[in-house]
Amino acid sequence: MNKRVRVLMLKEWREALKSSKTIWIGTVALPALFLGFSVYLMLTFGDLNDADIENVRHFVGALFNFPLLYFMMFPMVIPISVAVSAIIGEKEQKSLEPLLATPLTTYELFLGKALASIVPAVGVTWVAFGLFGLFMKLLLPPQVVTLALGEFGTAWLLTIFLFTPLTSLLMAAASMMIATRVSDVRAAYQLSSFVMLPILLPAIFFATQQALTNVSFIVLLSGAILLFDLVLLRFAVKLFRREEILTRWR
Amino acid sequence: MTESFIMILAESLTRRFGDRIAVDHLSLEIAEGEVFGFLGPNGAGKTTTVRMLAGLLAPTAGRAMVAGVDLCATPQRVRSIVGILTEHPGLYEKLSAWHNLKFHADLHDLPRPHEQIEKYLRLLGLWERRFDPVGAFSKGMKQKLAIARALLHEPKVLFLDEPTSGLDPESAKTVRDFIAQLASERRTIFLCTHNLYEAEQLCTRLGLIKQRLIRVGSPQQLKRDLYGRQIVIDLKEPLSLAGEALQLPFVRSAQANGRQLFVELDDPERHNPALIRRLLELGAQIQFVREHDRSLEEVYLELVAEEQKQ
Repeated sequence: MNKRVRVLMLKEWREALKSSKTIWIGTVALPALFLGFSVYLMLTFGDLNDADIENVRHFVGALFNFPLLYFMMFPMVIPISVAVSAIIGEKEQKSLEPLLATPLTTYELFLGKALASIVPAVGVTWVAFGLFGLFMKLLLPPQVVTLALGEFGTAWLLTIFLFTPLTSLLMAAASMMIATRVSDVRAAYQLSSFVMLPILLPAIFFATQQALTNVSFIVLLSGAILLFDLVLLRFAVKLFRREEILTRWR
Repeated sequence: MTESFIMILAESLTRRFGDRIAVDHLSLEIAEGEVFGFLGPNGAGKTTTVRMLAGLLAPTAGRAMVAGVDLCATPQRVRSIVGILTEHPGLYEKLSAWHNLKFHADLHDLPRPHEQIEKYLRLLGLWERRFDPVGAFSKGMKQKLAIARALLHEPKVLFLDEPTSGLDPESAKTVRDFIAQLASERRTIFLCTHNLYEAEQLCTRLGLIKQRLIRVGSPQQLKRDLYGRQIVIDLKEPLSLAGEALQLPFVRSAQANGRQLFVELDDPERHNPALIRRLLELGAQIQFVREHDRSLEEVYLELVAEEQKQ
């Protein structure tokens, strides 16, 4: 990674840590709560020796649909706070001009700020996924794990390695773009949250239908998000022009 | 002024924002080691000029070279060799002074960032407070830290936008002294200011802008261009000697005001002895003779008013 992008990313994290503990509590607490709930469900799974396979299939479906919904939510929720504060913070402190006076290019500025919110979102999601898998292995009977991986493995992998980065990018770019146009942090959070709705609502619907683990659905949703990403990046490039930042960001 | 010593060269530099012309065909040469004061009313285009010359904003027309680097072709290169103190310090308030400077040192990819940070924090008296969050600093301390940030990468050209604005007199003096010290290190300093005392104290030349460059020259030159050279003669008793003084061929104008006589001369060093001799012959009892030093404020207001009339 380009050094200037890395330097900017580290500065954003350092500032976010100093600025608001709630950013990091939110980043860690949400996945921790989800993991706690999942572990509780796994512990109540009990002994399967005398259960029939259809019951197991039904229970596994319930056990894995909602966690998948959470794994879809983390990359949407986590980037918002860091992305918004990365832009509004610069505007409030009037630090954009000195920043633009450095050799940093506007592309690096966008990338550094976007990655500062994407990396924790994707990282936390992946760590939570890893822990979820570990608890599955430790707490569930082996036949359930085998069944789960056989039935839902592809959907899980697509969600984690395709959907998560794409959604994080979408939310980071959207939040940053919104933050360039408003001066109030709360307004930026609220507007950014609206961006989640078109993705979250169908996901919740499919989760209630026990159909979230459908591979086609995840591929379709990821494709739509990729499209949105490309459109947003086109706009972001325009918004992150040096002149635009100096004269229009208020 | 030879080409190799010109650190800032602007030719017809123009910047438009939509229909509005912020800077109109600005042409300027600033030599190495000069402290160039840039004066003008609010909205005259001072900040836009600085932003263009520092590689932050692209000009709409014209060209400029800064430290031999073409501004239009390689603005990023220009940004790496100039330092800028913006109108607001623009520091990260939650971060410490050290981390603020470290961030900028890393963006400039300095080979020995820690040494540079220590050097400037010590020079500006902030070393003891290096780990304190900047939000706890006074305005003067923030301004000093912003100056340190502008100097970290040892720029050859330094743009300072209102460096003492809003500072208490003591902090303002510290900053002014520091600028004078930087000038003595042969750095080229482009100073935007509304503080005319500061401009006169620090600058070798001044430029007055109101969208276009109205006048350029040393403070003395600007005064002379506008008012000529005038001497004031303090008399012991009031005497109406203006008429007699005007008889002398080298006197351009003369005016009596109570015990004072104001005489405008082309070359006071040469003509003062003859003038004094004549006045003594006429019975004047002279107490003091001095040059009437117009304030830069008078010159500035006169030039701006002239421009507005046009």
